[in-house]
Amino acid sequence: MAYQMYMVAFNGAFSQGMSRDVQHHIRKLNGFTLMVMKTGLIAAFDDGMVPFVQAHAGVKLVGGVTLSPHGYAADRLQRIFAENLSKQIEVKTE
Amino acid sequence: MPNVGAELASVPFGKMIYDMASAIARSQVALDKASIELVKVLSTTTFDYVPDVVETLLPNPRQVKGANGEPLMDADENPIMITGVLVQTDVGTAFPLTLLQAGVNPTFYAFTNSTIEVKMSISSTQESSNTFSVGVSVTASADFLFASGSVSSHVNFTSSNKYSYSVTGSSSMSTTLAPVPPPKNMMPRFFLVNAIDPTKISISQS
Repeated sequence: MAYQMYMVAFNGAFSQGMSRDVQHHIRKLNGFTLMVMKTGLIAAFDDGMVPFVQAHAGVKLVGGVTLSPHGYAADRLQRIFAENLSKQIEVKTE
Repeated sequence: MPNVGAELASVPFGKMIYDMASAIARSQVALDKASIELVKVLSTTTFDYVPDVVETLLPNPRQVKGANGEPLMDADENPIMITGVLVQTDVGTAFPLTLLQAGVNPTFYAFTNSTIEVKMSISSTQESSNTFSVGVSVTASADFLFASGSVSSHVNFTSSNKYSYSVTGSSSMSTTLAPVPPPKNMMPRFFLVNAIDPTKISISQS
């Protein structure tokens, strides 16, 4: 079980409903949405789930991505990813 | 006797290696195509990037008010003031930035290590047994005028040979797929031209 970061490109024109549907689909597969854009989203999920994410009708392409520290807004993206991830992780206390 | 050398020579190593290499090459091409497709997606996916937010703290003195809202004064009838602060926010103009510019790179994969393992077990057994038995029986009888005798003999010879020969083999192929940095030729170069000083141009590549 290895979580990786993926770019999930939407199929066809953007719609809010379809975007949410893809996000829910990823959540059901124990994945996390890190950032949402009009043409797709960046998510983190188990590499074994790639075919299941790809199978969604609203998904055109799924491809692994990494964050380059030399990128123009890499640090900003990292903060956005961390912030969005923290909203989806349930912390259980003993 | 089993000929181990001949059995090993009959294993189609060449074909196995060719088939595996061919499958790896086809898979590598498919993976590279998918990664290049991803480069296109990342270079066209944009988000609004706010370059900076300037927050300026300005003094905001105001007089302290009493319970009924009346301005409070000290013993010398001077108004009691607090410094106060006013935060003025200036948000820079947002501009579209592609994910590729922002630093999201596609992952490229490469087959790093491939192994073909062939296991072969050759067993041969041979059993031979011979049995040899000889029997002689003599009978004799005598009467007043007549006497007779007989001699009989038998020879039994049994020979058996058992020969068994079996060859069992199994083969396994394994390969390792590892993420690698994007190849230089597949990633775009970024030219940053400073409009304030156009002589300063920086070129970068992921």
